[in-house]
Amino acid sequence: AAGSGWAAVCEKFRTARTLSAVESRKDPETEPYRSKYSARALLQEVKQLLSAAEEGGEARLLAVRRAVLEYELGVNHTDTEELSAGEEHLQRCTQLLEPHRLSPDCVSLYIQAQNNLGILWSERDEIKTAQTYLESAEALYNQYMKEDGNPPLDPSEHFMAEEEKLTDQERSKRFEKAYTHTLYYLAQVYQHLEMIEKAAQYCHTTLKRQLEYCGYYPVEWALNAATLSQYYLSKQCFMESRHCLAAASVIFSQAGQVPSTEDNETEQDQQDLRQRKAEIARCWIKYCLNLLQSARKLLEDNVGELDPDRQLELKAQRKKEEDEKEKGRKKAVLFGTSDICDSVLAMEEKVSSVYPLDFQEAREIFLVGQNYVQEAKEFFQVDGYVTDHIEIVQDHSALFKVLAFFEEDYERRCKMHKRRIDMLEPIYADLNPQYYLLISRQLQFELADTYYEMMDLKVAIGNRLEELDSHTIKKINSLAQLAIKYYELFLDSLRNPDKVFPEQLEEDVLRPAMVAKFHIARLYGKLITSDSKKQLENMQTSLEYYTFLVDYCEKYPDAVRAVETELELSKEMVGLLPTRMERLRAKLCPFI
Amino acid sequence: ALPSLNSPSVEGDAIKVYVRVRPPSEGTALTDGDQGLCLSVLSSNTIRLHSKPEPKIFTFDYVANMETTQESVFSSVAKNIVESCMNGYNGTIFAYGQTGSGKTFTMMGPSDSDNFTHSLRGVIPRSFEYLFFLIEREKEKAGSAKSFLCKCSFIEIYNEQIFDLLDSASAGLFLREHIKKGVFVDGAVEQVLSSAAEACQVLTMGWRNRRVASTSMNRESSRSHAVFTITVESMEKNNEIVNIRSSLLNLVDLAGSERQKDTHTEGLRLKEAGNINRSLSCLGQVITALVDVGNGKQRHICYRDSKLTFLLRDSLGGNAKTCIIANVHPGSRCFGETLSTLNFAQRAKLIKNKAVVNEDTQGNVS
Repeated sequence: AAGSGWAAVCEKFRTARTLSAVESRKDPETEPYRSKYSARALLQEVKQLLSAAEEGGEARLLAVRRAVLEYELGVNHTDTEELSAGEEHLQRCTQLLEPHRLSPDCVSLYIQAQNNLGILWSERDEIKTAQTYLESAEALYNQYMKEDGNPPLDPSEHFMAEEEKLTDQERSKRFEKAYTHTLYYLAQVYQHLEMIEKAAQYCHTTLKRQLEYCGYYPVEWALNAATLSQYYLSKQCFMESRHCLAAASVIFSQAGQVPSTEDNETEQDQQDLRQRKAEIARCWIKYCLNLLQSARKLLEDNVGELDPDRQLELKAQRKKEEDEKEKGRKKAVLFGTSDICDSVLAMEEKVSSVYPLDFQEAREIFLVGQNYVQEAKEFFQVDGYVTDHIEIVQDHSALFKVLAFFEEDYERRCKMHKRRIDMLEPIYADLNPQYYLLISRQLQFELADTYYEMMDLKVAIGNRLEELDSHTIKKINSLAQLAIKYYELFLDSLRNPDKVFPEQLEEDVLRPAMVAKFHIARLYGKLITSDSKKQLENMQTSLEYYTFLVDYCEKYPDAVRAVETELELSKEMVGLLPTRMERLRAKLCPFI
Repeated sequence: ALPSLNSPSVEGDAIKVYVRVRPPSEGTALTDGDQGLCLSVLSSNTIRLHSKPEPKIFTFDYVANMETTQESVFSSVAKNIVESCMNGYNGTIFAYGQTGSGKTFTMMGPSDSDNFTHSLRGVIPRSFEYLFFLIEREKEKAGSAKSFLCKCSFIEIYNEQIFDLLDSASAGLFLREHIKKGVFVDGAVEQVLSSAAEACQVLTMGWRNRRVASTSMNRESSRSHAVFTITVESMEKNNEIVNIRSSLLNLVDLAGSERQKDTHTEGLRLKEAGNINRSLSCLGQVITALVDVGNGKQRHICYRDSKLTFLLRDSLGGNAKTCIIANVHPGSRCFGETLSTLNFAQRAKLIKNKAVVNEDTQGNVS
């Protein structure tokens, strides 16, 4: 009789679990917890049946079974937003298990109870408390693996007939999964505690374990890895970043091969896949861009030109490092087992992860980036994806900009900037600033800056000539005018509805606005004219813009920090220009 | 009389935040007495939360106490936004707060009536009335030279999917962008409106299609965000020149704030979904958060903002006038949620137009 009674108990327990895990997903939106509530009622029944059978039973066995029920009830209550009740059940579960937590039939349940207590406390905003539970779960896993290491029982097995019990392989899989969850929750906890590096490390380990235990969806995994690569980018860890991206690309390509779970793959799913692919391409673009830009930072001198001494020095240093690196690279960060790993390494070989030090090396990275620009644009077309499309074009422009840094020939460099103009100008012309104010400002500024740079290059080319020819003069003047036009458009976008320029600039536009003013001042100084009166006018305008900077910083000393160099030069010009203008005036009217 | 809130000098891009304290439901106030309240309104812009050990004081653009009428909420919150909408600006009004804090009452009016002539009608019907009043006035002033076209759409965002409340048969819809028109919901029904009464009818019809849920904790909680959008287009003929202006007015009823912990607003939840395979899916959010705090380096984040923030991107720190009405329940049992609502509202005040310009010419000034 006891046997059949037990079978009924097990059956009830199993039903409760199915209700909770499977049926509940089909609950109507108006009663989201219907199945959870039914499961709860069943669990309560099981609990009562168990206490009725208490007499004569073996104490330890009973305690563990009760702990399983408390665990299930605890999870059930937290799932239905009843945290306090959930906490009580989970606490009772851990109390019952405390003496046996290192034994194979309890360890997994104990870890899962602690995971859930961690979740519960985080929902109460008590992250520190959550952290304690989760870290102790992590420690218990490590201790168990060190001292025992055999695949432990899964909690559900406590309510199973002997013949249904799981294989060691299945046990191990479920146990590892519970631990992966511990790490994943810890990643979140560290993130909330702003322990960024640690959080990233736990995210990384979670991803690695997902691969190892095949607990992943390729597309999702790939996106996560690609996103993680962006974290490494912000830390300038290019090798790690590239590894994540290569792994993302490799795992993503699996997504197309695996037949989807539901056979009715829709147009929408296809669309989603294309979008994900484009997203990963965009991460690659950023990779190439950052690598080039960081290299530029290393190589440039104080006026932003390539410093040949620095270049030689870095090349020598790299040679030395390469010799040392032969000893082996960091193993810890590698994703995947042999097969996947090989594909990832092959993928990595397509682009360097060390700083490019000359034009040739920079060009190779540029080309990889440019290919990804094309790939990303295939999905993110301007019709439907305005913001994304423009961001990609901006990246493309930035790639040209940084490539131009490595180019020695000024004429060719100028052509690269012209390419930027050609891609940015038409988009800017179409864009409605009522909806895209921010992007519109970015484009104004970037166009202004590009024209400014081209003007500087033309001046430098002109300076090599014996005498400026009229064609070059015309070119310089027109570039300067265009730069002024776009800087002014940017400054106008800061005006309020009544067209008044703000008395005090908002912090986020302070520097760009001041730089725009400063550059306009310089541009008026560069305009070439043989008409002395016109020249005087230009000098006057230039002086006004320089004066703006000086006056503004006097009035708002906080602004000085943002524009130190510009301010210094402006002060100098405000001192010099009146004298020069005086001299010019004297030349104009020599008899006064 | 209410203080003037909208004098031009204080008008910036920052989002305006209003807090409204609802009266406790009848009965509870009597039994709980004054001790039962977790907050008190100190002035028309400060509120004190009786937290322990130290009480906390919050300052907002405006704090409406329990006695504040619907009419005065409308005039201090929405009037100005409707006016600037007539002048070609986009405007957005959000209601935020825990289930039961009075969002629907504030935005719509008493929940059991579809009657928008009721003196308790809320911000949305009053905005309709005012908008059409302004339109009529303009038309009278300008005669045949000026004409208006108003259209509305009403959508719901539930589980990151978009549904059309004006066409309950429609399947999920998608957000798209147009280089001239900005963000729009592709395929959403747009209904032409000619009067406030008509707008109210559309609202009532759509409202019935919303998704609500009841749990043993909450009798009725809205699980979705509802966005009612009016497009106002005006055409003015001045001799041969035709001047067209267009603006959007978004009226948003957010899902109960206690439901939003998985979105960016709170970002806090370790969350274990029923399906163990799926439950790691928000790892991406964690990584995204890590990249977010990166030091301004160029990067791309694979996960786009939520549908709601994408749709209302303009309103959240964009080129629009936006205000948030944070609703709170004064009962001491609501302390936790009230605190988190006030904290949210405090943060919302900091949101403003983030016009970051790509600019790296420092040191390049030779």
